[in-house]
Amino acid sequence: MASRSVYSEMLLDHYRHPRHYGTLDRADVVRRGRNPRCGDEIEIAVRFDGDRIGGAAFRGRGCAISIASASMMTEAVAGKTTAEVIGLLAELSAQLAGIAGRQTGPAPAWFAALAQIREHSARHRCVLLSWEALAGAIKRDGR
Amino acid sequence: MSKSAASAAPALPGSERVRAEFPVVKLRVAGRPLVYLDNAATTHMPDAVAAAMDECRRRYCGPVHRGLYPLAEEATRRYEDARARIARFLNARSKDEIVFTRSTTESINLVACGWARARVGPGDTLWVTRLEHHSNFLPWQRVCAQSGARLGIIEIDDQGILQWESCPELFGPKSRLIALTYVSNVLGTISPVRELVARAAERGIPVLVDAAQAAGHLKTDVQALGCDFLALSAHKMYGPTGIGALYAKSERLAEMEPLLLGGGMVERVGETGSTWADPPLRFEAGSPNLAAAVGFAAAAEFVEGTGLDRIAAHLEALTRSALGCLAEAGDVVIYGPRNAPRAGIISFNFRQVHPHDLAQVAGEIGVALRAGHHCCAPLMSRLGVAGTARASFGVYNRAQDVEALMAALARARKDFH
Repeated sequence: MASRSVYSEMLLDHYRHPRHYGTLDRADVVRRGRNPRCGDEIEIAVRFDGDRIGGAAFRGRGCAISIASASMMTEAVAGKTTAEVIGLLAELSAQLAGIAGRQTGPAPAWFAALAQIREHSARHRCVLLSWEALAGAIKRDGR
Repeated sequence: MSKSAASAAPALPGSERVRAEFPVVKLRVAGRPLVYLDNAATTHMPDAVAAAMDECRRRYCGPVHRGLYPLAEEATRRYEDARARIARFLNARSKDEIVFTRSTTESINLVACGWARARVGPGDTLWVTRLEHHSNFLPWQRVCAQSGARLGIIEIDDQGILQWESCPELFGPKSRLIALTYVSNVLGTISPVRELVARAAERGIPVLVDAAQAAGHLKTDVQALGCDFLALSAHKMYGPTGIGALYAKSERLAEMEPLLLGGGMVERVGETGSTWADPPLRFEAGSPNLAAAVGFAAAAEFVEGTGLDRIAAHLEALTRSALGCLAEAGDVVIYGPRNAPRAGIISFNFRQVHPHDLAQVAGEIGVALRAGHHCCAPLMSRLGVAGTARASFGVYNRAQDVEALMAALARARKDFH
């Protein structure tokens, strides 16, 4: 059985003090992600700056993992290109699925905090909910 | 008391003697003992059940109803003895009223597809309750969608009590079947099955009882209940996974079509048509799960040997204790009635902590709780939540386990506030 807590200090910090929680000025797209199995509902708002993420915010209700993941995401994607964001989601999904990916240098702390939830398959959707909503927002906007 | 008399007296639920029969209670998680409070999901098997299944493997495993040599005859005899044991456990009139299935879910699907589907049409109503597990909801929903019949739902009040007496159409001329749970897997409430069946019988309305949570916790006497069908699973009453049973009155079984066709359930196979064997074998196509049937019977033996009254009293005491502690906590919402009897199951939520986080944290310190919708979306919708946490007790739980539950809540409170 897993011996390390899912709830790292970093994750709990993002849950207790979520970054970019609320609405976003001049949002280009607002998209909702929902997990009917547990009732987690996260709404993502994103503003584009060319092909980059100009800003992202979120609000909603859900478990600590879904909230923390959304918070970490809004920080991590700021300034990244939409292609990089899609790539990050793919890498995160692969990590959770236990598929070894290319490691190009040490993973950022937030990525490691989410990737270590790999051992708890019942919580994978909680991690990915906000990311998939953001990816959906990017694709819907035609980027 | 002499040694033989002492060992002949049944072990009390929660006692070290009973716990000694379950290796799982000795498991440790992160250096702490496992406190297993998810018995409504599945229970653990005592050594006696595992031993019976292993004896099957060692001594008489063979084809059932299919061979003429002594080993095959012995296997057949043991399988049918297991059927007879389950019939006695349920107080059925005859062992031929017991069909072995894979589970409660399969039993209910068998009745829906093999019996109800042919008997309902536009204008008819099939009734379920707001409390139903998806396994006793979806099969009826599909029968209605296919047949044009209406799915009626018997509602609950804010305490979770079934409002069957104020449901005017329930016993009306268009009601074709009532399917209800005996014990709610979310609220632990006990449905008034006997009274409802008696009223239904006056109108000739058959009743199916989902006894998944009741069997092994309360007396399930099909003649006393008077129901037409009753479904149960072995793994929820200290037996193996992969086997359950459908009890049905013989006149109902005679009317029923099989779900699966194949070897062992047929009388005569022709090129243009075939005839089925008599029940119960009509409904047991393919090689049966012999070892699991033997384990199921051994589980019935264990439950009756321990004493259903003792088990029920033990679960009631633990539930009362847990309810009291949870109510005192002040930041916990408890679902269901405070004062009606419960069969060892409590659903609750922290006001500030998502049930999944509670269950995750509890799991990390060795307390196994369930969180989610418990396959009861209609009930969750009525309660106004997406999910709850659930603690459910079994024969090996003891008073300290309630303390462990409260310690897990304290830990979650600290981590997430």
